[in-house]
Amino acid sequence: MRDLLANLIDSARARAGYADARFVRSRVERLSTRNGQPDQLDSGESEGIGVRVRVGGAWGFAAVRGTDRGDAQAALERALAIAEAQPAIPELAALAPEPPAHGEWANPVARDPFEVPLEEKLAVLLAADAGLRTEPGVNLTLARFSAFRTEKIFASTEGALCEQLTTECGGGIAAVAVQGSDSQIRSYPASHGGHVAQAGYEHFLELELPGHAPRVSSEAVALLHAPACPPGRTTLILAGEQLGLQVHESVGHAVELDRVLGREASYAGTSFVPADAIGSLRFGSEHVSVTADATNPGGLGSYRWDDEGVEGRPVPILREGVLAGFLSSRETAAEIGLDRSGGCMRAEGFDRQPIVRMTNVNLEPGEAGDLDDLLADTGEGLLIETNRSWSIDNRRLHFQFEGEAAWEIRGGERGRMLRNPSYAGVTPEFWGSCDAVCSEGAWQLISLLDCGKGEPGQVMRVSHGAAPARFRNVEVGVA
Amino acid sequence: MNTLDIAERAAKRAGPGALALVTRERSLMLRFAASRPTQSTGIDDVTVEIAVPKRGNVGRASTNEVDDDSLADCAARARFAAEAAEATHDGSFPGFEPDRDVAPVEASDPATAELDPAGGGAALADAFVEADAHGVEAHGIWTVAEQDQAWATEDGGAQEARTDAFMKVICIASNGRSGYASDAAVAVGQLSAGALAERAALKATRGGEPVELPPGEYTVVFEPQAVGWLLDLLGETAFNGLAHAEGRGALAGRIGELVAAPAINVSDSPTSARTLPRSFDAEGTRKAPVPLLQDGVAYGVAHDVRSAAVAGAVSTGHALAPGGDPSGPHPTNLVLAGGGATDEGELCAAVERGIYVTRLWYANVVRPKETLITAVTRDGTFLIEDGEVTRPLRDLRLTDSVLSILSRAQALTRDQKLTSDGEFYGRRFAYGVVCPAMRADAVRFTGATG
Repeated sequence: MRDLLANLIDSARARAGYADARFVRSRVERLSTRNGQPDQLDSGESEGIGVRVRVGGAWGFAAVRGTDRGDAQAALERALAIAEAQPAIPELAALAPEPPAHGEWANPVARDPFEVPLEEKLAVLLAADAGLRTEPGVNLTLARFSAFRTEKIFASTEGALCEQLTTECGGGIAAVAVQGSDSQIRSYPASHGGHVAQAGYEHFLELELPGHAPRVSSEAVALLHAPACPPGRTTLILAGEQLGLQVHESVGHAVELDRVLGREASYAGTSFVPADAIGSLRFGSEHVSVTADATNPGGLGSYRWDDEGVEGRPVPILREGVLAGFLSSRETAAEIGLDRSGGCMRAEGFDRQPIVRMTNVNLEPGEAGDLDDLLADTGEGLLIETNRSWSIDNRRLHFQFEGEAAWEIRGGERGRMLRNPSYAGVTPEFWGSCDAVCSEGAWQLISLLDCGKGEPGQVMRVSHGAAPARFRNVEVGVA
Repeated sequence: MNTLDIAERAAKRAGPGALALVTRERSLMLRFAASRPTQSTGIDDVTVEIAVPKRGNVGRASTNEVDDDSLADCAARARFAAEAAEATHDGSFPGFEPDRDVAPVEASDPATAELDPAGGGAALADAFVEADAHGVEAHGIWTVAEQDQAWATEDGGAQEARTDAFMKVICIASNGRSGYASDAAVAVGQLSAGALAERAALKATRGGEPVELPPGEYTVVFEPQAVGWLLDLLGETAFNGLAHAEGRGALAGRIGELVAAPAINVSDSPTSARTLPRSFDAEGTRKAPVPLLQDGVAYGVAHDVRSAAVAGAVSTGHALAPGGDPSGPHPTNLVLAGGGATDEGELCAAVERGIYVTRLWYANVVRPKETLITAVTRDGTFLIEDGEVTRPLRDLRLTDSVLSILSRAQALTRDQKLTSDGEFYGRRFAYGVVCPAMRADAVRFTGATG
């Protein structure tokens, strides 16, 4: 395959200002149980080659399944034809310089999830599902396992040739309780598919799904009778998945440089962040520092090279509340005069071209101790950890989220559980109200498995590191 | 490449009771921003899905390799999965019973199937010229595709080729105001890039300073694009037969009840003249018209084989995957019957003070059983005063129950439009909602956005 890609790139060199080619082989396994029975028993495999060319100022990309040399050459011809057919535009700036990527990389895996017998994985899921069904009043129980393997080879007309192999694994559980017109859900360790890490089967076992199942189903039923989150303004502590999603939606997407430059206006949207605001835009309080780091062990946004051959590294995004950088590509970085791409170009598979994506966009830890310390310091307020719904406008400015459950904070301790805890805010005001972030010991990576962007659509798995954080005077009970 | 041949070879390797679904996508998409081409994607790929039932459990595997060895390996993976489940539990899947005598629909246009990049380039150029004439910049996509799909069991199968074309234009003025227009069709010849750009540009350049409305309840005139979003969310929350059978659906226990205004008639009509038609679903089940809301009364839900088995019903031909998608069945050809109004202007005429909504964005279900959703308005939100659209509005966040909005529907336009978002995640699956514009009273907005 290395030879095929090298030959393809040789063919492209004389006909395009720049070209790259990626071979991607993907493998996925998804298993689930539903109400105590095996439900989803899926495995998938695909492989193919994507060729991207830049002719004049226009990009062309074509993808073809398989590994046939003739088909790959036809894909190159198609990419060139597509680029050449588009309305002429002035030559754009050169891509930001990057030394050609060479080498191989794979994330560490203790136990290959694809080699674990199906029966063994199903046994864990069925045990967890049984634990969920110990609570009368639960209508639906779900336990999920998922594993992903991606092999990539990348070559470019600038001399890059590198290979990567990633393995990801994880799972989760959920219980749904219904009464009249109300339905409530509780999930562990996160909603929307659970928690997945760049790791082997060992990560799935570390989640200890069966052990958490009785609590999860008990909380789902209890929510039906819990008081509703009252409307008003209060102090809000976000933790776990909900904080990760808050970082994702209101920081991560807002600093994608393609959005900032208006390239995604037709779909994902734009951004309230100006392209020339590095060092001047106050995005949050002095407690808020965010880094995009493609080198976090276990993160779903971790890699040695992005999908245009740029080496992954930590990129400062916010420093003490002030904008410090963007998520960028070689093209967008050059456009605003950055020395180098942030290494954030990722593609879902061989048949999608790389676009600016999040790596692991992390809220840096503070000095507020652990969650108990933060609760004690807070006195009165609300704690939300698990997400149920989210929505944010196309400039990433006004958002509205709802958790699965909230806990009152009373006297510095976790109090009653509340149902339907929604909150809303405006991004810089919200992050400006952050007055405490827990310490490094409470910092963890959470995963989001279904970040959609691009046309045709691409679903990306990403991680966000964060420790519980506190926000003052937040509007809650809005939905 | 003959998809029926591949499906039959795959089904033979999977054995008795198994079903193979083969989908080939050939597509081209051109993106543009600020009146310049940005990204373009040409795809030629095939997905072979094999589903093997064993004692009520369904093992499923997929591949994009179509040689016999790869198909045999794929079939083996599906079989092993079913056998692993079989060893632990009996499942409830009753088996595939595809309809073998389904006539393919007329849903293919040869010119569209050419995937001509020059035609796309010309469309972009037309849009740029029109946008420039109005002093705005054009953003959007132009895309065409041919999808060739076949299913088979050991006893044979069926095949259908479909084409689809979609273009959307968002025009953005220098003051940041934006306007939207889109069209979807079976044939690319039905798309007019210049006309779309003009419609979008006129919205973006409508005069006056944007007004901000406080949160509250307002009478709203929704363009078809916004109505389509609302109905598609009902597909997820109310018409999903699996959620319905599990008691989670919004219509669970409410069939036969009045849940919307009497003027609301919603069906899934896969052969409707204006839809993107299809004759069978992912399990080979014939797609036939299914009434969902009749005169505002909850009438039925959509089923695949799995959800039908749970509900004690029969499949209505709404499987998204052989053996059932984990999220359940989903209507893909929703149609809301039109009313008596001539156009959106007539809908506005009765409004003393209200909101005109071109489209909704970032909609998400908050509480599914209540059909409570939240979304933001975008690309053409205006104030209606004394029966006429007067000034641009700052965008708003809508947070309301879809069924409640439909229960407060006051009037519908006579004409319907095929609305689609042209969102193609995974293997391309073009679908849309055919609906009129609608006026509804007391729609709840919870804040300003944008």
